[in-house]
Amino acid sequence: METLTLAVFFIALTAGAYFGMNLLYIKFHYSILMPALTATLLVILFLLLTETPYDTYMIGGQWIDRILGPAVVALAIPLYKQRKLLFDNLVPIFTGTLVGVSIGLFTGFALAKLFGFSEVLVLSLLPKSITSPVAMEIAEQIGGIPSLAAVFVMIAGFSGIIIGPAFLRVLRIETPIGLGMGFGASAHGIGTAKALEYGPREASVSSVAMSLSAVFGSFLAPVLVWLFFL
Amino acid sequence: MGQLLRELFSIPLPGSILGLMLMFIALLLKIVPLEWVDSGAALLLSFLPLFFIPATVGVIDYFDVFAGKGAFLVVVLILSTLLTMAGAALTSQHLSRRFEAGKERS
Repeated sequence: METLTLAVFFIALTAGAYFGMNLLYIKFHYSILMPALTATLLVILFLLLTETPYDTYMIGGQWIDRILGPAVVALAIPLYKQRKLLFDNLVPIFTGTLVGVSIGLFTGFALAKLFGFSEVLVLSLLPKSITSPVAMEIAEQIGGIPSLAAVFVMIAGFSGIIIGPAFLRVLRIETPIGLGMGFGASAHGIGTAKALEYGPREASVSSVAMSLSAVFGSFLAPVLVWLFFL
Repeated sequence: MGQLLRELFSIPLPGSILGLMLMFIALLLKIVPLEWVDSGAALLLSFLPLFFIPATVGVIDYFDVFAGKGAFLVVVLILSTLLTMAGAALTSQHLSRRFEAGKERS
């Protein structure tokens, strides 16, 4: 009985934090107010203040967590709706994503090694440019820590949209394909929200890049780990 | 469904990604009409950030990772993210401008 109460309470807490923060984000629309960040911080703050262990929170949290898999499958639908854009630009989009994912995995790996981080941290860091739900699954598969991976994904996303606009200008990226690919392949969902500020075409390319990165990353991350850790 | 396939054939891919690929193929081949899944998917995706809050909150057990040397993790993340961005953006913009010439690679 008590378990049920706790479960309902933590589900309500998470959903409440999300919807509350979502309203705030819709009102002010600063990237830093994205509910994925603010609602997570609110829940963490609550757990810290009440000294609630994570395992207790997950009595309720796991029920929300379980919808994540089906939600990733649902990404196929926007990808399908963008199929004309995807097939018309198949070579640039495929190659760009492949190059982006490879660079992301390899430089993440090389730099983290260079700084001497432990293997489990390196493995959690690898999928940082891939959308959180998939990054967490990849991290788990290759022996990293999923929740750390999710935080790394968020740091990557925010650094991408904060530095990205100036950086892409310096690189003379000005086509919708170039801009969308840059944001989507490096900063996933957060980048796609930013790409929308440039225009609908940039956002579409970005969301295609995000989904494809997730697919390519799922293939390539285990290969990289197999190459370097065995 | 994707998770099931993965366990059956022990494919080393996340179940959700297999599911995404299967769903995309099913839509392309018109095995699944768009109308069946359209509104359900839109509903799920509009709440997508909510679904990864519980897993992300798990970081409270790993705060010590960011202490001391851990700050360099942020440096690694920023550098690697920018290199990823440059690679993806430059490649795709370059190729899209010479689309015909780029056809042999795919």
